[in-house]
Amino acid sequence: MRLLLIEDDLMIGESVLDLLRDEGYAVDWVKDGDMAHTTLGTQSYDLVLLDLGLPKRDGLAVLRALRARKDRTPVLITTARDSVGQRIEGLDAGADDYVVKPYDLDELLARIRALVRRAAGRAEPVYTYQGVSIDPATREVSAQGLPVVLSSREWALLQLLMARPGTIFSRKQLEEKLYSWKDEVSSNAIEVYIHGLRKKLGNGLIQNIRGVGYMIPTVDP
Amino acid sequence: MNIDLSHSLRARLLWFLFAAIILTAIAQAFIAYRAALAEANEIFDYQMQQMALSLRPGLPVSSELVDRFITNEDENFDFVVQVWTADGRRVFQSTELAELPQRSALGFSSVDARGTTYRLFSVASGTQLIQVAQDLAARRELAGALALRTAGPILVMVPLLMFLVWWVVSTSLAPVTRVQKQIAAREVDALTEVSEQGLPDEIRPLVQELNLLFHRMRQAFDAQKNFVADAAHELRSPLAALKLQVEGLRRAQSDAGREVAVNRLSSGIDRATRLVEQLLVLARHQASTATATGNTLVDLAQAARLAMADVATAAQTRSIKLSLVQASECRVSGQEEALRILLRNLLDNAIKYTPLGGQVDLTLDHDGDHAVVVQVDDSGPGIPQEDWNRVLDRFYRVPGAKGGGSGLGLAIVKAIADFHCAEIAMGRSTRLCGLCATATFRPGK
Repeated sequence: MRLLLIEDDLMIGESVLDLLRDEGYAVDWVKDGDMAHTTLGTQSYDLVLLDLGLPKRDGLAVLRALRARKDRTPVLITTARDSVGQRIEGLDAGADDYVVKPYDLDELLARIRALVRRAAGRAEPVYTYQGVSIDPATREVSAQGLPVVLSSREWALLQLLMARPGTIFSRKQLEEKLYSWKDEVSSNAIEVYIHGLRKKLGNGLIQNIRGVGYMIPTVDP
Repeated sequence: MNIDLSHSLRARLLWFLFAAIILTAIAQAFIAYRAALAEANEIFDYQMQQMALSLRPGLPVSSELVDRFITNEDENFDFVVQVWTADGRRVFQSTELAELPQRSALGFSSVDARGTTYRLFSVASGTQLIQVAQDLAARRELAGALALRTAGPILVMVPLLMFLVWWVVSTSLAPVTRVQKQIAAREVDALTEVSEQGLPDEIRPLVQELNLLFHRMRQAFDAQKNFVADAAHELRSPLAALKLQVEGLRRAQSDAGREVAVNRLSSGIDRATRLVEQLLVLARHQASTATATGNTLVDLAQAARLAMADVATAAQTRSIKLSLVQASECRVSGQEEALRILLRNLLDNAIKYTPLGGQVDLTLDHDGDHAVVVQVDDSGPGIPQEDWNRVLDRFYRVPGAKGGGSGLGLAIVKAIADFHCAEIAMGRSTRLCGLCATATFRPGK
């Protein structure tokens, strides 16, 4: 899952960045409205965390421009603007959720999961396919009822594929979703993680469509 | 009726004017009455005198009382004429009823007879004495009627005049009543101007001053409202950071991670502390200017030395060379503590944004116009020109500037400078190539 963090407060930004990375999200961080606008125009994200009081361009302007381009990326506003009128304005500008600073990190993470879930067109919090189930909230994975321990990257990759079963992800797409700007990507990293997942969860779960990419089939083969 | 004359202008005007009108009318009527009476007396006296004198040459020499008047009871003669001989015999009497005693005194006199007082004029004609008399009651009646005709119109005019005064006073004071109603009808926090249209010159300055006061109050009110809104917003960010930093500390799994988290938390606490301190300084400055007991002549060099002592530790930890250059003695009228904070915040700002091993200079000098110029130069990165004015705004931080600033330091400098009528300007330092902040204190301001 790749997230864009738009936050001009350096202390908040660096803390949120680290905490989200620890949760297995790939996070990019921009610090002003213009950069946010440019980034959103060139890169696709699974979710945007948007602060409103930004230098150069207000967060609401960034959001409106995003929605004007018919971009449906979930946007979660995190701001110190707390009046009811401001919340209504934010949501009406196209935000999917609105959290007032100072917020509780666990609540923020739960809201991020809910938005990602909804954006994938599903409501159930635990994903299960072919005997493998994952719980994004607890990050617990089990195969045929037995708990499985995954590395952080493996978890991120599995969650990505499980979130949209039936969708074929190219290696490039997976790389984009798993790595933020500052991460260095080795050329065969995705293959290594797929290999690891197959070893732990069985060979049948993740299918490789040669020349196209990887997917988790919706129906058992 | 209980009207406090000392408070209502209208009541005072009406009461005093009405009293004046009535008193004047009474005095005028009295004087007119007296004047008319005196004039009537004079005329009647003259008439009596003329009558007596006109009888003198043509009187019959007979010494017998002529008694051939036909007495008419209905006729009322005001005047009585009698002629006496030298031996005291009455030889002529104009009317039977009016018999008056003989008087030897010549000229005017008064005589009581038959229950009334007569005015008598006697004149000698040869051996005879001619007397002309008039009943004073009748005379008073006539004179009274005459006087009343003079004074009457005055008394009739009194109510008319009172009505006129009432009308003039009421219409003149109508704008005052209107202003009073406008002010009475407003909400507690409505500080809009009162209309000055149609106000008399005596009241317009008052209303203008009131409007100015409203204006200033509205500004202060808005500033306060903005400040509260800004402060609420700005207090949330450090709190949000603290909360996240605590979360980061809790989730840290390695010693190195915990070290990073603790450092972050500690700088977050420093930032919140600075914000609270600056807010307190600002509040204290506002309170002290509100209750300012008066300015003293402050030696800026002394204030600068104190301010430099305040920031010396911060400069030392960042290995920044701090120096004071005083070209001439600089004294400004103001508040010593506030000026020290102004200098300290300027130095603090310079030190914070100057890289390790840099330099910060504080210069005190006069310019050509005898203005005292305080200048703080640093060797930091400076501020982009478009932000030179905005950095003085409350809670404004230059985009991309490193965290930790409260956004209040320079706003406090601006507030203190405004209080001292000094100008604050940001620019590029020609000597150290960083930021150059100047405060110019113009004399006579």
